[in-house]
Amino acid sequence: MPVSRQILRPVSQGLIILSFLFVLLVNLLPWQAAFSDLAPDFVALFLVYWALNQPRRVGVGTGFLLGILMDVGDAAVLGQHALAYSVITFLTLWRQRQVAVAPFWQQAIGALALLLISQLIMQLVRVALGAPFVGWGYFAGPFLAALMWTPLSNLMLMHQRREVPDEL
Amino acid sequence: MQSTQPAFFKQGPRPLTRLVIFAFLSLSLMVGDAYYHVLGRLREQVSIALYPLQWLATTPFSMAQEAGSFLSRQSDLLAENRRLNDAQLSAAMQAQRLKQLEGENARLRELTEARRGLPRPSQLAEILYNGRDPFSSSLVIDQGARQGVVAGRIVADAVGLVGQVVRVQPLTSEVRLISDRNHMVPVVVERNQLRAVVYGMGRQQPLEVRNMAPNVDVQPGDMLVTSGIDGVYPAGLPVARVSSVDRQSGFARIFCTPVAAIDQYRFVLILDAAEALPPYPLDASAVDAASKKKRKR
Repeated sequence: MPVSRQILRPVSQGLIILSFLFVLLVNLLPWQAAFSDLAPDFVALFLVYWALNQPRRVGVGTGFLLGILMDVGDAAVLGQHALAYSVITFLTLWRQRQVAVAPFWQQAIGALALLLISQLIMQLVRVALGAPFVGWGYFAGPFLAALMWTPLSNLMLMHQRREVPDEL
Repeated sequence: MQSTQPAFFKQGPRPLTRLVIFAFLSLSLMVGDAYYHVLGRLREQVSIALYPLQWLATTPFSMAQEAGSFLSRQSDLLAENRRLNDAQLSAAMQAQRLKQLEGENARLRELTEARRGLPRPSQLAEILYNGRDPFSSSLVIDQGARQGVVAGRIVADAVGLVGQVVRVQPLTSEVRLISDRNHMVPVVVERNQLRAVVYGMGRQQPLEVRNMAPNVDVQPGDMLVTSGIDGVYPAGLPVARVSSVDRQSGFARIFCTPVAAIDQYRFVLILDAAEALPPYPLDASAVDAASKKKRKR
């Protein structure tokens, strides 16, 4: 169970920045062309995670900044990732209070929807600028990302969880 | 009102307001980038900030590859050495022949006063990564403006044409591959010098020669080389080999596979810019109009 049952230690700003640097690194890894469709967009995944768990630290502006970095790293149209990330961060914040207390598997479904929206926005942007439809394989990444949600959340919350004495 | 709120409730503008601001910003960035090409400087600055991450992401892989080659077996090395010796011998013979032909060619060109098509110096670059962007086929290479790369340079590998540099950042540059959708390369069929234009159809798709009559003299196996007519691509660079010709519809559909190993190599050559061609001649009608104007005066 997420936040509600346990008292969590605060997260340091450094951890958030470090985790974003790490996922940028993962996204920039030289993926083989065959796997590049399947590789989930880790930056978007972590953006949703942090916006859900630290809504006062990670907002639409963070999404926009990370999007610009991804645009340049990916050699995409400038603004494509920025728009998609801004929108999904907003959507996360919009229903943050309901979703943050939901069980992980329900959060995973939410994350799947958000990542699909992000891919869809990027696809629409590129179609508007004259690119062809890239095929359904492009939408496989979010499903893998949704499978990773529960282990990822447990891993990230691990150092925040504090032992609560029973006899209080 | 605002001043009586406790600090806890002060969170700056609402998320929706922020979304509107940032969405507007991204849309204007997109328009500026895609239609007006005015954001080169911004891209440069961001790419400098991103370079350490790119370096970190690619270095372990190249180091692992180097370590792998360090540990290769001695028998492999011997066999490879022998093969390379043979190849070197035949290459030396070819080089001699080439030198002779070059001399002859130079003399002939002197006679006709044509100076195009001479060999030009080139620059070696390593591929950093495949563009992850699935909508276009592009590569990012490790040579940028600091190394003297200019947008528009032609990129080739040992066997054929790879693409063209489209964006240059201080330390890296982006190469658009010939397989990118609607990328055009003017070519001639090597066998009969038939002029054509070969189009890219998207990542991991074959190339296509369009708008040819159904009875056109092109056969599977024909080699297409650049014609040099547009003044961008140097003449004589191998581009693609015809793989199939479909003559059923109103136009022949000619599919080709690129000669260069577009998805495989690690090193590419950036060729120097082509010499400028004489300017495109005016249309006959434009010339008429111009001369009429003169006459009126």
